[in-house]
Amino acid sequence: MLEDALIPLSITLKVAVLSTCLVAVFGILISYALARRDFRGKWLADILVTLPLVLPPTVTGYLLVVLLGKNGAIGSFLFEMTGWSLLFTWHAAVIAAFVVSLPLMVKTTASAISAVDRELEYAAYTLGHSELETMLFVTLPLAKKGILAGIVLSFARAVGEFGATLMVAGNIPGKTNTMSLSIYTAFQSGNDTLANILVITLVVVSLLSMALAAKFVDRWSV
Amino acid sequence: MGVKVSLSKVYRSRGRKGGRDDVFSLNVSFEVGNELVVLFGRSGSGKTTTLRCIAGLETPECGSIVVNGKTYYDSDSGVDLQPQYRRPGYVFQNYALFPHMDVRKNIVYGLKGWDGAKKEERLFEMLRLLHIEGLEGRYPSQLSGGQKQRVALARALAPSPDILLLDEPFSALDMVVRMRLRERIKVIQKELGIPVLFITHSPEEAFSLADRVVVLHEGRVHQSGSPREVFYSPVDRDVAELVGVSNIFEDGDVVGRSPEGFVLEGRGMQFVTGSDVSGSDTVSWGVRPENIHLMAYDKDLLSDEGNVFAGTVLDVTDKGSSKLMAVELDGSNVVLLCDVPTRLLDDAMGSRVIVKIAAKDVLVFE
Repeated sequence: MLEDALIPLSITLKVAVLSTCLVAVFGILISYALARRDFRGKWLADILVTLPLVLPPTVTGYLLVVLLGKNGAIGSFLFEMTGWSLLFTWHAAVIAAFVVSLPLMVKTTASAISAVDRELEYAAYTLGHSELETMLFVTLPLAKKGILAGIVLSFARAVGEFGATLMVAGNIPGKTNTMSLSIYTAFQSGNDTLANILVITLVVVSLLSMALAAKFVDRWSV
Repeated sequence: MGVKVSLSKVYRSRGRKGGRDDVFSLNVSFEVGNELVVLFGRSGSGKTTTLRCIAGLETPECGSIVVNGKTYYDSDSGVDLQPQYRRPGYVFQNYALFPHMDVRKNIVYGLKGWDGAKKEERLFEMLRLLHIEGLEGRYPSQLSGGQKQRVALARALAPSPDILLLDEPFSALDMVVRMRLRERIKVIQKELGIPVLFITHSPEEAFSLADRVVVLHEGRVHQSGSPREVFYSPVDRDVAELVGVSNIFEDGDVVGRSPEGFVLEGRGMQFVTGSDVSGSDTVSWGVRPENIHLMAYDKDLLSDEGNVFAGTVLDVTDKGSSKLMAVELDGSNVVLLCDVPTRLLDDAMGSRVIVKIAAKDVLVFE
């Protein structure tokens, strides 16, 4: 019984931590580009990133299957090159979590970056600092609260991800059965004890991550 | 040496639906030496844009910018240095101090690649230069306006820039602090010998600070010269208004000569000017409010001499140290604004006065 709870927990943490790391890195870069750069097709990039926020997760999942499946644009290429299919692995769960939580990261981070006074960046430029240095040492530190909020939201979203994960990664015991999926399975099969344990664990994990984030915000406040 | 600027750019901002777009065209050129230059004009005249173009924060459409022999921008040869390679000392209107860094970090932020000991030495040199020793551990939010301004100046000067650009740096400061900092800037410019470009819309600041004043109006340089030239011989109506000549007579006629100079006629009144207007038939002229003398009415004071008029006080505004009076001249609809020392006349709304203006104070332009 304990193992039935621990395995989903470890899969969930593995998937959520990894996807949050990816979301943090790509989210910050995309947010910076959206908030500070002008480029062709910016509106399209904005829409594409935001789309998973408004689409039902099953639709997002379906689109991912179309893209990543053996006949999909990316999936077929990957299969030909490596003979390896992404679908129904825990990697696919990471990608699903990444795609659905990215808009939360980008929306919060982009607005935090936009709120940083541009004059500060200009001041850094006149003092000889490149755009990258300025981003790292002026813009991002001043937007850190929004960035952290984005990371926390993304992590929470990744932990709770259900629909898209089910579509692309399935619900394979010991491989892709995350907590959210296992709760559903346990509930369906009448295993109320397991469902209760999983629910409590999930709530505790979520609360812990929130508390940790709040503590960071506190320490970072100047 | 010095700064040679010639730039133009057209700005369009989309008007309301169905309305016309707003177009602002900037077309500025001037050449100044290693001196304290004040860019003077109303807000929206293009002062800040010009400064940003020099710093490389904005790109003109064409022209060239050369500072101390180094080409920052030249549309013909395609040169456009990034601000990182121009490294001007730039003091922003809102100071733009990094709020997450203390004063020490702010000041040494521009000293990229300096070794620790030299950095520290330069930091203390700057703190001493601007009299802000002891503040190095504070964060910008813990500083007063004047202190922030000094830190911003220290940060701009620390890397020994080729040029110092100041965008209305004192606009948010009180009078006393402003006067002290003005003096400081003057001293620093003399010590460093670099060109300093200073933006202001305050005539008083322009006059007291500048070696040279460049007057901008609606995106164009109207006049460039010593403060004395600009304030006492404005070249046109726009400059005259900017430097505080508020009594303006447009398109009058030159009707003759008198012992003191030339006789001008406009709006039914005759004025005598000390300026030489031989060769022109039509001119505009103006008088500063503070150059008009008022006396209590006395018939004996009226004479055939030029620039003596009788009038009635319409309105009085007390400014504390002086009073601003609107006086309507007899036999015309001309109302002169006069700035008179408070002690000279008692509050005299509706009373009769004699107006007297020296011929040299009737400034002719255009």
